[in-house]
Amino acid sequence: MSRPRKDPRMERAAHLVPGGARPRFDLAATPATSGRLRRDPRAEERLALVPGTLRRRLDRSQRAPAVSVVAVAAPVEAEAAPRRVVIAEPAFLVALVPDAPGGRLSAHDRQLFGAARLLADAGGGAVLALVDGSSEELGAAGADRVLALPITGYDPEAKALALNAALAALDLRHVLFPESAEGGDLARRLAALSGEPFFAGAESLSPKAVTRAARGRRVEQRRAPPRLLSLAIDAIAPHAGSLHEALPVEFAFPETTGGALLSAEFIPADPARVSLAEADFVVSAGNGVSDLDTFRMLVAALGGTPGASRMLCDAGLMPRAAQVGASGTVLEARGYFALGIAGAPQHLQGVARCEHVIAVNTDLHAAMIERAGLAIVADAQKVMPALLRLLGEEGAP
Amino acid sequence: MRIALLLSAGRHRVSGRPAPVPVELQALRLAADLAQTHGGQSGGTVTGLHAGPEIGPLTDALGHGLGHLVHLRMPAEADPAPALTAALEAGGYDLILAGRSGQGGEDTGLLPYTLARALGRPILADAAALAPGAEAGTLSVEQALGRGARRRLVVRLPALVTVHPAAPAPLPFAFAGLRRGQVEMREAAPSAPAPHEVEERPYRPRPKLIAKAAAGASAAERLKAATVAASGGGKLLVDPAPEEAAREILAHLRALGLIAPR
Ligand SMILES: Cc1cc2nc3c(=O)[nH]c(=O)nc-3n(C[C@H](O)[C@H](O)[C@H](O)COP(=O)(O)OP(=O)(O)OC[C@H]3O[C@@H](n4cnc5c(N)ncnc54)[C@H](O)[C@@H]3O)c2cc1C
Repeated sequence: MSRPRKDPRMERAAHLVPGGARPRFDLAATPATSGRLRRDPRAEERLALVPGTLRRRLDRSQRAPAVSVVAVAAPVEAEAAPRRVVIAEPAFLVALVPDAPGGRLSAHDRQLFGAARLLADAGGGAVLALVDGSSEELGAAGADRVLALPITGYDPEAKALALNAALAALDLRHVLFPESAEGGDLARRLAALSGEPFFAGAESLSPKAVTRAARGRRVEQRRAPPRLLSLAIDAIAPHAGSLHEALPVEFAFPETTGGALLSAEFIPADPARVSLAEADFVVSAGNGVSDLDTFRMLVAALGGTPGASRMLCDAGLMPRAAQVGASGTVLEARGYFALGIAGAPQHLQGVARCEHVIAVNTDLHAAMIERAGLAIVADAQKVMPALLRLLGEEGAP
Repeated sequence: MRIALLLSAGRHRVSGRPAPVPVELQALRLAADLAQTHGGQSGGTVTGLHAGPEIGPLTDALGHGLGHLVHLRMPAEADPAPALTAALEAGGYDLILAGRSGQGGEDTGLLPYTLARALGRPILADAAALAPGAEAGTLSVEQALGRGARRRLVVRLPALVTVHPAAPAPLPFAFAGLRRGQVEMREAAPSAPAPHEVEERPYRPRPKLIAKAAAGASAAERLKAATVAASGGGKLLVDPAPEEAAREILAHLRALGLIAPR
C-alpha cells in the first residue's frame, strides 16, 4: 500500500489557529498540504450539471471544461498519442481489399484491417491495402503499405485480374476480403482465376486456424488460414491503438481489355417499391391511426417505405407484407417513424435494429414512446395533416 | 433462348432435411419469366441441372415451374465442376443461372465462379431481376445492392448469373407441374474427388462482436456505444400543437439525413 498513514494528531495540529490563550482549531479550513487531494463532491456535481434541461442531468464524462475547485497538484497526463509503428523490412505481406464504398472505410472494412493485423503481427509481416483510390484513414486503420488499383467504375473482372497479377508478383501470403456483396464476389472471382484455396465467410480467425460454418450452419470447418480468405461481418474487432505509415507502393499492373460488361448504371432505391427488410426509412401506422389515406399520402411525401403493426394487417387495412415485428419483418432500417403504435414486445423486436425511432402516440406511457429518440405525445390524426401541410408549404416556393 | 439452372442439394434451414435451396427456386422464377417474355421464335426453354448422388426433393423444382431436370449422377465425394462444365458446354446454353451460395453443402458459393472460368464466360453476381437487353444477344441484369438500391448491368450473352434473395418469390408449387415435368438421369464421367483439407466439427455459434467504442474511450462513451441502439433517451414533447410537432419531426428527420434537406 502506497497510501501514507493517517496521523490524527498531526492533522489536528495543522488546523491550529495561532495566537490566543486557549488552543483554537479551525476544522473548516483546508489543511495546507497533506500531499493528497481532497475531493469536493458538491463542486464536482455542480460542474457535471447539464444546464438547460428540465430534469436534473449530470454529465460525468468531463467533456465540459473540468475546472476542479482544488488546484490539481500533479499535471494531467497529456492525451497519449497513438503509437506510430513502422515496419521497414516486412517478413511477408498480408493484403486486404476493402469495399470502401464512396472512398470511406465501412465498419466491416475496419474489422478486415483488424484481421489482417492479427495475421501480420504474428510473424513480423506488413499489411498491404489494395484500394481503388487512396484515403487518409488507411494509416490509422492499420495499413503499412497502400497499393492503388487501376480501376475506374464498376468492373469486377478487371479488378480480379489486377489482383491476380499482384497476388502472383508480390508474393502475398494472405489476401483478405469482406464477405459482403462486392467483396465476396471479388474474392470468388480471384479464387477461380488463381486456383488458390479459398475460405469463405470466416467467423473466427487466428494465425493458426480459421473457422467457418458449413452444411447449413450445422458443421464448423476449420483449417490453417489459406491464401484467400473472406471474413464475415462482426467476427473480428477492428484494429486500434497504433498508427501505421500507409506507405504508397508502386506496381506495374498489366493492361486489361474491356470485359463482357457493356454498361453499368446505379439505380437508387425507390422507397415505395423496396421490401421492408431492405428499406432505409420506414413510416409505420398502428391501431391509433384511423385515417389511412392521409397516412399513405404522408408516407409518399416523406419518401419512406410504408409499414404497419399487426393490428392493422389483421384488420386488412394494410397488406400483410407491411407488417413489422416478430411475425412480420425484422427491419434493418436506419429510421423508424411510428404513428399510433403502442410498442408491444412483438412489435419492438422488429425495430430492435433501427438506430433512430420517432413515435407519435396519445399515451405518454406507451412502450414506443419510451423507445423513441423523438417522442411526441399527440394525436396522430392531427399531426399527419400538419406534417403534410408543412411539407407542402416547403415544396411550394 | 436456352437457359440452364443449377440446382444444388440443399437442406432446410430449420429442420435440416433435404430440400431445394429457396434462392434457386427464385432463380427458376426469373428464368421462367425470361423464357416466356424473351422466348422469341423458338420459345425459351429452361433446363435444371443437378450433379450429385441422388435427386431427392429437387424434383420439387418441377412443381415450381421447371419443365426438364437433368440429373448427373456421381458419387457424393466427387467434384461436380467437371461434369457440370461438360454438360453445360454440350447444352449450348445462352444463360446459366445459379443461386448465391448453397445451403447444406460446402456453402462457399464458389462453384458458379469456377464454372464460369472453365466455360470462359462472364459472371455477374446477385441478380434481382432479368430483362432482355436493348440489343439482340444482350441481357440487362438488375443487381441487388444494400438497402434496396440496384445497379443495372448490361452483359453480352452467353453469361452466367447468380441470383440474390431479393429476387421475386418462387412460383407457387403445383402438383400437376411435378407430374408433368421430366427427370432425365445421366451417369457422369468419373472425376477425382474434390480435395478436402478441412477438419469438421459440430457447429458452435461464436459470439458476435458488439458495438464497441474505440479503445481508450471513456466509460460513458463505452456505455453509450453498448446501449444507444436499445434506448431512445431522447426528446419528449407532451401535447404540442400539431404544427409544432410537425416542425420538430421534420427538423429531426433532416438532422438524421433521412429525408432530403430543404
Ligand atoms: C404470437 C404473436 C405475434 C405477434 N407478432 C406481431 C408482429 O409481428 N407485429 C406486430 O406489430 N404485432 C404483433 N403482435 C401483436 C402485438 O402483441 C400487439 O397486439 C400489436 O402490436 C398492437 O398493435 P398497435 O400498437 O397498433 O395497437 P394497440 O395496442 O391498440 O395500440 C394503439 C396505440 O395507439 C395509440 N393511439 C390511439 N389513438 C391514437 C391517436 N389518435 N393518435 C396517436 N396515437 C393513438 C394508443 O395510445 C396505443 O398506444 C403479435 C402478437 C402475438 C400474440
